Amino acid sequence: MTTCRVPLYLLACGSFNPITNQHMRLFELARDHMHSTGQYQVVGGIVSPVSDGYGKQGLVQAQHRIAMAKLALQSSNWVTVDEWESQQPDWTETVVTMRHHYEQILKREQSTGTHRGSIGNTTSISTLSPQLKLLCGADFLDTFKTPGLWLHGHVEELVSHFGLVCVTRGSLQPERAIHESDMLYRHRKNIFLVREWVRNDTSATEVRRALRRGLSVKYLIPDSVIKYIHQHNLYTEHTTYRRPLRPLEVRKPADTANMPVNLTGYWKMISNDNFEEYLKALDVNVAIRKIATLLKPDKDIVHDGDHIIIKTLSTFKNYNMDFHVGKEFEEDLSGVDDRKCMTTITWDGDRLVCVQKGEIEGRGWTHWVEGDELHLELRAAGAVSKQVFKKS
Amino acid sequence: MESQSLTRVALLACGSFNPITNMHLRMFELARDHLEDTGQYSVVKGIISPVGDAYKKKGLIEASHRVEMARLATESSSWIKVDTWESFQPEWLETAKVVRHHYEEMLSAEHNSDDVDTVKYGKKRRVEENCFEGSVHQKKRDGPQLMLLCGADVLESFGIPNLWKQEDIAEIVGRYGLVCITRSGSDPHKFIHQSDVLWRHRKNIHIVHEWVTNEISATHVRRALRRGRSVRYLLPDSIVHYIQEHHLYSAESEQKNADVTLAPLQRYTTASSS
Repeated sequence: MTTCRVPLYLLACGSFNPITNQHMRLFELARDHMHSTGQYQVVGGIVSPVSDGYGKQGLVQAQHRIAMAKLALQSSNWVTVDEWESQQPDWTETVVTMRHHYEQILKREQSTGTHRGSIGNTTSISTLSPQLKLLCGADFLDTFKTPGLWLHGHVEELVSHFGLVCVTRGSLQPERAIHESDMLYRHRKNIFLVREWVRNDTSATEVRRALRRGLSVKYLIPDSVIKYIHQHNLYTEHTTYRRPLRPLEVRKPADTANMPVNLTGYWKMISNDNFEEYLKALDVNVAIRKIATLLKPDKDIVHDGDHIIIKTLSTFKNYNMDFHVGKEFEEDLSGVDDRKCMTTITWDGDRLVCVQKGEIEGRGWTHWVEGDELHLELRAAGAVSKQVFKKS
Repeated sequence: MESQSLTRVALLACGSFNPITNMHLRMFELARDHLEDTGQYSVVKGIISPVGDAYKKKGLIEASHRVEMARLATESSSWIKVDTWESFQPEWLETAKVVRHHYEEMLSAEHNSDDVDTVKYGKKRRVEENCFEGSVHQKKRDGPQLMLLCGADVLESFGIPNLWKQEDIAEIVGRYGLVCITRSGSDPHKFIHQSDVLWRHRKNIHIVHEWVTNEISATHVRRALRRGRSVRYLLPDSIVHYIQEHHLYSAESEQKNADVTLAPLQRYTTASSS
């Protein structure tokens, strides 16, 4: 009664492909826990499904994932679905999504801020500004260590500025992750570990597997969601084994004579030389460099006339380029070295040449095809890296 | 032709259902998928039979509430039903008796509704000759079969002294059959191997592996409720509302039968010592 509680919002990011009872359960556990600290009043929960640009295998269209989440949360009076992230053309970094939602919350607070005090049991609640924390599962903290998945500034912003509520199953995994990272340790007071005593391993992957095999998923996901899945014929063998986000299943022939080659295809890396020197030239820190050189990203290219989409896909992080040949555009290299460049891509004979004007001198790359191999030369400040991919 | 060769099965789950959880309901779904996948069975019915108050288990609330909650929980199911017969018995009843009762009910329902049944009798006798011992007068292959649905803990409880009568175990697995849902960490095959009676009837024991660990126990649900924690998504919303409305599961209700011996233990312990 006497203490002021901080109004708190919880945000969960993920595929929600489809949403399961376990997802909703995490919100309930987190709310109970945060209330029991005596410091927080949980005022809202946000489910933010990832956009189709995430490119994960078996990801059904965002409109369906949103619709299912809405059906599932119909019965909740505090957790809602937000479509913003799902509508972004590309994958959005979690921190960027959090910034967006926090701005929205502040905006709402400003317009209705004085109201809430009178509705709540104390007026003091509205005197504290609201907070937004990320709700996540036990393995989430480990992803910070995954190279290339997080920009180094982002993790710090996430744990210091926002905060984490992490639901664990009693393993020491999250505690260890905090212990082993100086940065996480520094902000440990902003990382809340919630113990889940009842093991419930319902994963969306298991749900999709059961659906593909025609097995019952009743009581794992709400009845309304099951009905929706059947109505829209989702998660059948067909929709799941295909990669629905790769529009290049239909290979379009080059439609004009001045296109000497067509790069369309799914290309798997077979060699990667001098990549670390290239990353060093881009000032990428040593930890990320070491591990980035171990990755074997695939190139997923859709080449349709002047419009080319190059997706660089790895197990940890994807990078997408979507451009028109000959047109300069501002390229946001978030996820690579976080810089912005003015980028132009042109044909030089049968080679696709990219010039990235910006802070780094002589930055750019060249793509060309030799037989069933795709070659890539990456250049930055005198460093040259050579990668070769094979068509799969 | 195809559908006629399938044995129709009803699944019976006995227990406290104090309260019923999503896990109880999930067991039925898993069992049905598994049995139908064998290509031999068609699961036509699921029966939930909450135990009577005379069971004297700690924290067991009145059967009327447990039955009502189970009824609410099965409203959305097209094939699982609640049966109140066991819950209304003044005395605690051995599970074998409950199974027997439901099997008789099923047979009489068959005879009343189905004249075609008599036509099938000729074929039945032939099949029966291949049946193994102990099953003779029960295994009417063309008739419906009743199987007891349980978790691995029930199978393992067969080994607890004075909890089960040995002839009851033999009757349940020998004459009827058992569908046992197991999760990682328990090894029912080893348990069957170590018990002669279970091993003899191993073909009547269907082991269903639950790949998705789901440990929602009613004990956990009651504990969370006593502590004012959320139990949403562990049991159907309608049950959560029912519990709130009727103020069920308090610290006080958990003390019910605290000093009383469980009915089966009381019965068999006295019987063996006298």
